[in-house]
Amino acid sequence: MAPKVHAAGASLAALLAAGTAQAGETLTVYTYDSFVSEWGPGPGIEEAFEARCGDCDLEFVALPGGVDILQRLRLEGQGTAADVVLGLDMNLMAEARALDLLAPHGVDTAPLALPIDWDDDTFLPYDWGHFAFVYDTEQLETPPGSFEALLAAPEDLRVILQDPRTSVTGQGLMLWIKKLYGERAPEVWAKLDERVLTVTNGWSQAYFSLFMNGEAPMVLSYATSPAYHMGVEGSDRYQAAEFEEGHYLQVETAAMVANTEAPALARDFLAFVLTPDFQRHIPLGNVMNPAIDLGEDLPAVFDRLIAPESLTFAPEEVREHRREWIREWLNAVAR
Amino acid sequence: MSPLSPWATLSRWPLGGGLVALVAVVGLGAGSLGALLWQARELHPALLWQEPWLAAVLRFTLWQASLSTLLAIGLAVPVALALARRPRFPGRRLLLRAMELSLVLPSLIALFGLVAVHGRRGWLAPLNDWLGGLPEDYLYGLSGIVLAHVFYNLPLAARLMLQALEEAPAVQWRLAGQLGLTRGALWRALEWPRLAPLLPRLAALVFTLCFTSFAIVMTLGGGPRSSTLEVALYQAMKFDHDLALAALLALTQLAICLTLWLLALSRGGPPSLAVGAAPGQACGRWWRRDARGLSRLTDALWLTGLAALLLPPLAAVLVAGVGGLPDLPRGTSLAPAALRSLVMALGAGLGALALAVALLSGSHWLRLRRHPLGAAAMEGGGQLILVIPALVLGTGLFLLLRPRLGSGWEGYGLVVLVNAFMALPFAMQVVRGAIPGLSAPEQRLADQFGVRGRARLRWLAWPRLRRPLALALAYAMTLSLGDFSVIALFGSPSAPTLPMLLFQQLSGYRWQGAAATAMLLLALVVGVFALLDRLTRRLPRHPWPPSVSREIHDARLP
Repeated sequence: MAPKVHAAGASLAALLAAGTAQAGETLTVYTYDSFVSEWGPGPGIEEAFEARCGDCDLEFVALPGGVDILQRLRLEGQGTAADVVLGLDMNLMAEARALDLLAPHGVDTAPLALPIDWDDDTFLPYDWGHFAFVYDTEQLETPPGSFEALLAAPEDLRVILQDPRTSVTGQGLMLWIKKLYGERAPEVWAKLDERVLTVTNGWSQAYFSLFMNGEAPMVLSYATSPAYHMGVEGSDRYQAAEFEEGHYLQVETAAMVANTEAPALARDFLAFVLTPDFQRHIPLGNVMNPAIDLGEDLPAVFDRLIAPESLTFAPEEVREHRREWIREWLNAVAR
Repeated sequence: MSPLSPWATLSRWPLGGGLVALVAVVGLGAGSLGALLWQARELHPALLWQEPWLAAVLRFTLWQASLSTLLAIGLAVPVALALARRPRFPGRRLLLRAMELSLVLPSLIALFGLVAVHGRRGWLAPLNDWLGGLPEDYLYGLSGIVLAHVFYNLPLAARLMLQALEEAPAVQWRLAGQLGLTRGALWRALEWPRLAPLLPRLAALVFTLCFTSFAIVMTLGGGPRSSTLEVALYQAMKFDHDLALAALLALTQLAICLTLWLLALSRGGPPSLAVGAAPGQACGRWWRRDARGLSRLTDALWLTGLAALLLPPLAAVLVAGVGGLPDLPRGTSLAPAALRSLVMALGAGLGALALAVALLSGSHWLRLRRHPLGAAAMEGGGQLILVIPALVLGTGLFLLLRPRLGSGWEGYGLVVLVNAFMALPFAMQVVRGAIPGLSAPEQRLADQFGVRGRARLRWLAWPRLRRPLALALAYAMTLSLGDFSVIALFGSPSAPTLPMLLFQQLSGYRWQGAAATAMLLLALVVGVFALLDRLTRRLPRHPWPPSVSREIHDARLP
């Protein structure tokens, strides 16, 4: 188990290498595509961090999604070019932890303002949001107020879903239903299936190609989606339906690679994650809730979003059962 | 004068070039698959029949791909014939451009257009309500998948068939006109012999495209009932990190598609030997008896049908794009992204072209030397990349080139390389008809006059090759212009290409800006096709000696 020993040694070395960041260092951050785009939070965060550290260079490497970040880490192993990975959500944490490539973040998590308690010392949350069904108020005046109501909705209420095998939101719905219904999940899937217009491979197809074209009154998305429409487009047309049973929670995290060549800089960056200078780019940039209380800096539209109860599974549980639950879903709807 | 050996016209260069290209293609494909298999260690083929839904997926995929291919190819034949019969009508050029567009449309954008037209609330919905012919949800389920696949592939097939028909030598058309051949006679004597060698390969290409189609099948399929092998592969690779299952699925796909290709290649037969004298532009100059009477009506119907299939979804994208123009990134990323995309596309296009010419010359050389099997293998090798899922290719390459890859220029270079390989099958389809070059009598004549080497290439082969080469380059370039899958595999520093910009916009809710980016992408595609068409439209300028040109000039004076 030479690599493991090496990893342990490296993380020990990282722990010992205290002190401030070296001037002129580069920090490579693996993240997902939309984070680094011109209108995403990336550019503002990069500017703020580089101003803070003086002479360092923050370099984002964009991958299509959180799963791809995990996959890249897995393929690169000890040789990874990443110093920090940003974008692994709660459901990928257990897998990422099992790679033995990440080090404790060492950041004081007191400022965190999440809907759940957080005591993980490797993964540091930077934003969160609930999965939700977003509806078009022009097609649907009163959305269902609960999952039960959705299942019992009239024939013409169609929803657009995403596939749990290829999309984060799709997997979110799978976990949501499993959490709510447990053993009864297959039955619920079969019932929900009568309401489903189609199941797309990704969120973009569902939201952009179908929902925005008015194909169905409801789409599986995030509770924060209306914030974009209200805050950037100035339109109240799209809103999220609040279900009384509660909504499944997504927490996105950042973590530090154990054998990074720039441990001090990586640590500085993680500490920076929970400051207002980082967090103020999150609400309208990433269209998610900030991980700390932003106070006045939080755009007003976020007060108008739904605030449901949070449902979660432990990351290890997700890791252990994901395959089985996907099979269960497949067998329930793909007869 | 040295005696002419029978090999004088058969230099060994084509074989060497072909072999090098074949090794490169097969090396890349087999290498990445092999890396995956090696990493996976243990393989359980039994999984394939133990998973009941996997068999169902396979059945469905075969069914939808066969149906899509049959319809796309079957309908493309009359469309291509009608287009060849009508060389001049208002909007013909527009229609041709639109046909070239559909193939390279990123699937997300094509889906947007298709949904805007055919969706439950699409442009056609009121008409459908009024006529009541189709169910409201016809875009979802098998009918929608087939519609989208026909939308993608019929124009491609018809465009390539038209190219083949237009390459028929002028003499043949003149003769047909003089003889006043009827429609049936023309079909037997001229049209079918030109299309027949093309069809099996074209069908195999379309089938492969439909078989491996991912976003369309899932989005329009209505649920996991209509799924594809690639979804299972995606899950195995990304969430479960089950490389063994991924490799197994990739091998299954490879086996099915390659069998089909071998079948197609063995059927296609040698291309028609009747390669004529004057290149291009000949078709339609001549009087055609079959262009009168009832055929006016049927041709009009076919062409209207093509326009109705093709234009509304594209128009929907344009409408959304114009609306989104103000939302285009105000910053500086748009122009560099476009330029970056173009440069990468040019590299990939030229690479694909070079590979295609090398493989086809090699295969032609082998066929002339009566090695049909070797010839088929060389040609089939070129299609290998098409049937290996991009995900497998990317991950395999990753494993091969570990520990690091995809940073900075290496990453871009690799993307260009893989794009070149992925565009290869399309380039081969286009260039293929032109490669046999000279007919036997012409070769003998050229040998007798000692026109060999560079002169032969420049004066005899090149004039015939330039238009197919230009079209092939255009297809290859635009394919890589619209590509997202490959570049997504390697990740990028914050310098996106145009399709990446588009996806970033989408995942950031900027869907109108994304439509505008898509419009820009389409404009680039049109630009590439138009430019290459224009550059090769005129016949090559022959550098007449000045005196001769003056004579000609004088002769025209009254």
